[in-house]
Amino acid sequence: MSDMRAREDLAGLRSLGARSGPKAPPTMRGFLQRPWFIGLLALGLLLLVWQWISWVNLQVPGVGEIARFMFTEISGGSHGGALSGEFWAPLAVSLQRYAVGLAIGVPVGAVLGMVIGGVRWARGLFNDTVLVLLALPAVVWAFLASLWFGLSSWGPILAVVLTVVPFMAVNISAGVRNVDPGLAEMSRSFGVPFGRRLHHLLFGGSLPSAFTGLRLSFMTGWNSLLIVEWFGSTSGVGWRARFWYDALRYPGFVGWIFLFVILITLLDRLLLSPLERRAFQWNQRPTLAFAEEA
Amino acid sequence: MATVLIENLTKVYPPTLNNPTQVQALGGLSMSITGNVFVAVVGPSGSGKTTLLNIVAGVERATAGSVRALQEGVPARVGYVFQEPRLLPWRTVVDNMLYVQDRKSDRSRREAEFYLQMVGLSDVADLYPSQLSGGMQQRVGIARAFLVNPDVLLLDEPFSHLDALTGRSLRDYMQRIWLQTRKTALFVTHDVTEAVELADRIVMLRPGGTAYDDIAVDLPRPRRHDDPAVRDMQDEVLRRFDAMGAAVRFGAHA
Ligand SMILES: Nc1ncnc2c1ncn2[C@@H]1O[C@H](COP(=O)(O)OP(=O)(O)OP(=O)(O)O)[C@@H](O)[C@H]1O
Ligand SMILES: [Mg+2]
Repeated sequence: MSDMRAREDLAGLRSLGARSGPKAPPTMRGFLQRPWFIGLLALGLLLLVWQWISWVNLQVPGVGEIARFMFTEISGGSHGGALSGEFWAPLAVSLQRYAVGLAIGVPVGAVLGMVIGGVRWARGLFNDTVLVLLALPAVVWAFLASLWFGLSSWGPILAVVLTVVPFMAVNISAGVRNVDPGLAEMSRSFGVPFGRRLHHLLFGGSLPSAFTGLRLSFMTGWNSLLIVEWFGSTSGVGWRARFWYDALRYPGFVGWIFLFVILITLLDRLLLSPLERRAFQWNQRPTLAFAEEA
Repeated sequence: MATVLIENLTKVYPPTLNNPTQVQALGGLSMSITGNVFVAVVGPSGSGKTTLLNIVAGVERATAGSVRALQEGVPARVGYVFQEPRLLPWRTVVDNMLYVQDRKSDRSRREAEFYLQMVGLSDVADLYPSQLSGGMQQRVGIARAFLVNPDVLLLDEPFSHLDALTGRSLRDYMQRIWLQTRKTALFVTHDVTEAVELADRIVMLRPGGTAYDDIAVDLPRPRRHDDPAVRDMQDEVLRRFDAMGAAVRFGAHA
């Protein structure tokens, strides 16, 4: 094994973390530095601080109270009176709007970003529009959308689209513009056809910033959805949070807010991060180099 | 048979933000290359060598004069090896090769592997450039240029970023491949010794981008860097190179 490694080094082959040898046994310090451990720690601290605030300020519901309320909400039990828990229906409505909004906004923003990044005159034409979209807060969309569409689902969907498009466009156009001009020169000297250049050079080169854009889009799109549902909808999770807020049932309001955060974090960890890791194989660094030498 | 006709070639770069005066990179250069010869262009830094190759490759436009690279009367296909490897970092080695290849078929992958093998890299086809050393990346660049079956091969100081040992072994590779394929080659360098090792003919550029000297190198191949005849020729060319340096410096004072 070490002989082979030595030969690879001689040949100038750089070994990757993923390809090299078995993992070193985890040390205590390594364990404490695992991302999920730090995440749990942060969550624990947050809950602790929250609980402390609820002791100081009696208006703020405690952690246990919130958990009990959300359990009733999720299991469809009774909140007292005629009010019963409702969880899956608003969640399904919101996720559907979110998915439709992303399915429209992400590709539109991506194409717009490619055009702004790659075509000079388009930059002048669209850049300011995109910046204006970027600067407008989601509340504006909430009111405009409820004016245009009443209380239908198109308001929240439009808000997601309009939030996502500029985030994708700005990031992807920056990615396209940052593609090494030397690589463009290389492509031209070899007469690489346009389609292939688009695919391998521009698309490949802007992938890192596309991911940044995607992440931001997922977050801000979700936020706008909630705000629009809060102000201009009679269904969805944003509406449900407001429902409890208006009913002065703060455990419900706060519980839903917690759920929003958990949902978006899960989405990021379970969907985007693995995708990102796969897309960036080429950029892997040998992370286990020190452990192996020991 | 390929020909490269360079007539009165001039390139002036307009003033830029950080350089308010215009720069003359080439000042009326004329030379012609016919047939399967290996021509080295040597000159000090800034004498317009890269500019010359870029114009031949069609990446840059001449200010005046003309360049024609022809193969049997039609525009020649060029293969360019750059000063840096210029590989797409996010594609594997073999995908980098196929990127410039003009057919997509089963054959093209096998061809790509053939040229990789020729530069001694048969095992790395599915690795990413970041997993290779600088010398290996440069070899991929060389294999890529040969893959397109070029009529004219352009090489821009392909060994200058490498350590002396790696550079020497790559020069040996280069010589071996060139002997097998015998492409018309235009090889830019500021290293006189490597020019003598590889070239049939050495064109010397002076600052301002005009030809100063044109030397035929009539030595048998394959050449070895420690062959006394090669050494003697290197000394001779270096003497002329130094003479040009002195002349330029003298001219500047006069
Ligand atoms: N895109 C450009 N814009 C403005 N000036 C340029 C540009 N490219 C090259 N030049 C200038 O033209 C001159 C010749 O440049 P070139 O790169 O052809 O030299 P070179 O002989 O290849 O030098 P080196 O050996 O250092 O690579 C230099 O003075 C350089 O500053
Ligand atoms: Mg140069």
